[in-house]
Amino acid sequence: MAENTGGGGRGESAGDKAREEFFSEAQEIVDGLSRDLLALDDVCRRGGSDAELVNDVFRAVHTLKGLSGLFGAAMMSGLSHELENLLDDLRLGRIELTAQVLDLLFQSVELYGRILAAAKGDAPEPAPEVKALLAALGQVAQQKGGGGGSVVAQYELDPGLLGVLTEYEEHRLRTNLQAGLSLYRMRVQFQLATIDSALDDLKSKTRPHGEIITFLPTGEGGDSESVELEILVASRENLGVLKGAVAGPNISVEEVRRRDGGPNPAASIPPPPFEDAARRDASDPYSVSISPPTTSGGDALLDEINAASGGASRTSAPPPAPSFPPGPGAAQPGTFPPMGLPGMPLPGMGANANANANVSGNQRELTLRSVTQTVRVDIRKLDHLMNIVGELAIVRGVVARLSERVRLDPDLKEIAPDLHRLHRSFDRHLAQMQNGILEVRMVPLGQVFDKLARIVRQISREHDKQVNLVITGAETEIDKLIVEELSDPLMHMIRNAIDHGIEDKDERMRVGKPPVGTIALNAFQKGNHVVLEIEDDGKGMDPAVIIAAAIRKGLVSESEAREMSHKEILTLVFQPGFTTRDDVTSLSGRGVGMDIVKTNISKLGGVVDITSDIGIGTKMTITLPITLAIISVLMLEVAGRTFCMPLASVEEAIVFDDAMIKTFEGREVMTQRGATLPIVRLAKLFHLEGWRPGVWINEAAATPKPPEVRPGRKAKSYCIVASVADRRVGFIVDRLVGQQDIVIKALGRSLKKARGLAGATELGDQRVGLVLDAAALINEVLASSPEGRIAGALEGPRSPKPASDVRGDGGML
Amino acid sequence: MKALVSRRGEGRSALQRADELGKRAEYLAFMLGTEAYAIQIGNIVEILKPLPITEVPRADPEVVGVMSVRGRLVTVVDLKRRFRLTRSFTMDKKSRILLVDAAGELIGLLVDEVLQVYRLAESEVEPPQVLGTEQPPHVVGIGRPAGGAVLLLLDLAPLFLE
Repeated sequence: MAENTGGGGRGESAGDKAREEFFSEAQEIVDGLSRDLLALDDVCRRGGSDAELVNDVFRAVHTLKGLSGLFGAAMMSGLSHELENLLDDLRLGRIELTAQVLDLLFQSVELYGRILAAAKGDAPEPAPEVKALLAALGQVAQQKGGGGGSVVAQYELDPGLLGVLTEYEEHRLRTNLQAGLSLYRMRVQFQLATIDSALDDLKSKTRPHGEIITFLPTGEGGDSESVELEILVASRENLGVLKGAVAGPNISVEEVRRRDGGPNPAASIPPPPFEDAARRDASDPYSVSISPPTTSGGDALLDEINAASGGASRTSAPPPAPSFPPGPGAAQPGTFPPMGLPGMPLPGMGANANANANVSGNQRELTLRSVTQTVRVDIRKLDHLMNIVGELAIVRGVVARLSERVRLDPDLKEIAPDLHRLHRSFDRHLAQMQNGILEVRMVPLGQVFDKLARIVRQISREHDKQVNLVITGAETEIDKLIVEELSDPLMHMIRNAIDHGIEDKDERMRVGKPPVGTIALNAFQKGNHVVLEIEDDGKGMDPAVIIAAAIRKGLVSESEAREMSHKEILTLVFQPGFTTRDDVTSLSGRGVGMDIVKTNISKLGGVVDITSDIGIGTKMTITLPITLAIISVLMLEVAGRTFCMPLASVEEAIVFDDAMIKTFEGREVMTQRGATLPIVRLAKLFHLEGWRPGVWINEAAATPKPPEVRPGRKAKSYCIVASVADRRVGFIVDRLVGQQDIVIKALGRSLKKARGLAGATELGDQRVGLVLDAAALINEVLASSPEGRIAGALEGPRSPKPASDVRGDGGML
Repeated sequence: MKALVSRRGEGRSALQRADELGKRAEYLAFMLGTEAYAIQIGNIVEILKPLPITEVPRADPEVVGVMSVRGRLVTVVDLKRRFRLTRSFTMDKKSRILLVDAAGELIGLLVDEVLQVYRLAESEVEPPQVLGTEQPPHVVGIGRPAGGAVLLLLDLAPLFLE
């Protein structure tokens, strides 16, 4: 429930604040990491690769390492360090990006989350898991191979030169050679005075024709005013073209020959570049091929990384530009036929790649800028603001009364209209302010959807079912506190959908469905509610199976089962202990899950509904209030006190009289539409009857009026039928006051013993009304009077209400 | 007698005595029934005239109820019931609610009357053991300010840390 601690005044030391910042920043990075990995997984599964994404992931992990080092989060720091090594190997092509490696990366995201939770004190440290992952990372690192060093060895390159190449340069060299490019060596004399501009000039001349791998001083041919550099260039063009491009005095270009005298690819007819890349990728779908066109962007990125880590800084970072010439006949982008590998950057689309690199560069800047425009705010501060708004609402009430008095006073007639206008204006602005604060609390559901996408991937792999998750409405906004509470229930439901819903591949093929299952996660706003749908195209829920399972577990009797409607049967899955499985899988089937889902959703003031068709699929619909800070309640009176019952728990309210009661072993029940309804008198439950109100309350305040007639006697009273997760109880109260939206606040720690109360709210007139915790009260009442026994005595079937009826909006008197 | 007192004074160093002078603590004294109590003033956030209080069913017997102080919910506790001085709540024109920060929670203490603030030197505080060897942890001593008042000094934290 809403934890409106009304804080804000609590003093926080700078250290605490910095730690908070650390947590939220780390969490943000982990979330981003997760998104990048999902994208990488996607690219990978389609047989492509994306060097830029690998670099992004690397950068995220590197940042995490730095952050955690700063805050002494040793476990996180250690994990980041190992991951960084792995990612470094990945981007340098020393290991391949296999599904296995991706699994490890996904695991690490999971563990980051848990480490963060542990550091906040919410959970124990996942030490054994981290250890296991570190071991697994170590194993992967062992497997790394040379990745084609032999290719380099085939060329007549000075071993001394090879020795001074940075690892990245070596990787670039290897990749280019593997891609079938020719290698050229340029020797250029530079005047020391003008070397910077001359080198830049040469670079820009070379760039359209190839990639400069490295440049090094030769140590010869120079004098005190000049220096000779050896420049290694990989190019697809022949010697003549390159010579023509860089022609000038003091420049010599020669080809680096292969030792075996084999043909230098570019010297003969160059293969169409895309075909080359395609062949490589087709044969080796999971390899990281850092494709040339993305290199420029990647290069710039790496320079950033290097600069950030204080590592080897390169003298001059090349501006983003194609380091590759457009292939023959590829002067205009688009000349190439579209390829069957979407997401695969095509060599030869230099112009496009250039544009892309620039765009992504700009995007990076844009994102940086937008980050500075957002402010992270502790939600307690917003609660505090909300409290102030609540106070102002009370002031508004007083002003309204004053305004009314002034209007009626003949002496004050002149100022009455002004006061009225003021009041109206105050009213309007206050409403705007309240809406504004509520808006700030809103976050997109995408936050939780990202986590789910990761889980779908993990579960479907564990279970060897192919599942496609289709998300719509990730931008739908909902209260931050609700988002936090939603991830567990949604995870259960998705697990169920994969485990129980989606059939395995063979079965799907047999019934003529596409082999890959689909789970649709849709979110949209509907009035003051947010609707979440989880829909799978699996085998659907079979009522017969559910009934059989429910009978086996003793949840219903056979006679009861015969009278149940389709919808009622589906709702049985929300019963505690329900499972259709005899075997317990690691995924689900332990009989915990759906009842918890329903309870958790109820706690958030939401409802769950199921529809399912055999062979077609199952759809679960969750309807949630947009915010927790404000809930709709039914105001009621018992023994002169006002209480609030959350409307989400109220099924209906009926006029009640004692004649409706039957008593079994001293417990009171009534029959409602053929079903037994245990009832409880709220005054008795709370021992309110004996209290003498008003003795000690300040005279100025409105004292609760004593009830005119003692409750439960001749006076008309009401029965409020409340339900949670299909358990229903009727609460007998004296009077219904009406429906109201209230700001709920948590009770202090010293009131922990007062069970059955969810919080309190201000009623105006400075009075406080208590909000009932319907779920706790129902469970308490039913625990002390097992409903099964009563139901048995009455021989009436318990009727689990379909979730769609569990709304408070109808049936009220 | 006088000699005895001076001898006791001699037993302490000048440094210690200077320390004590600096260690005067401020206490707010209030009445619960016929008895005078005091708590360190640093604990007190605010002194309020009684506001409407809503009873909370099933709360501890000493809990009067909850009230709203400028939008914040405050649990009001009757110390008289807590100390078993009385069984019923009483409130009149002299009654006040001391808003205190007790172990991180904002609590209202219902008292019968607020007296005054005393600055007590360490020498004006007797240890709780003078009341007997076994004293509850919330009793930290007896204040004997000049003027003849006798105050039972309370520490709030143990009262609300359960």
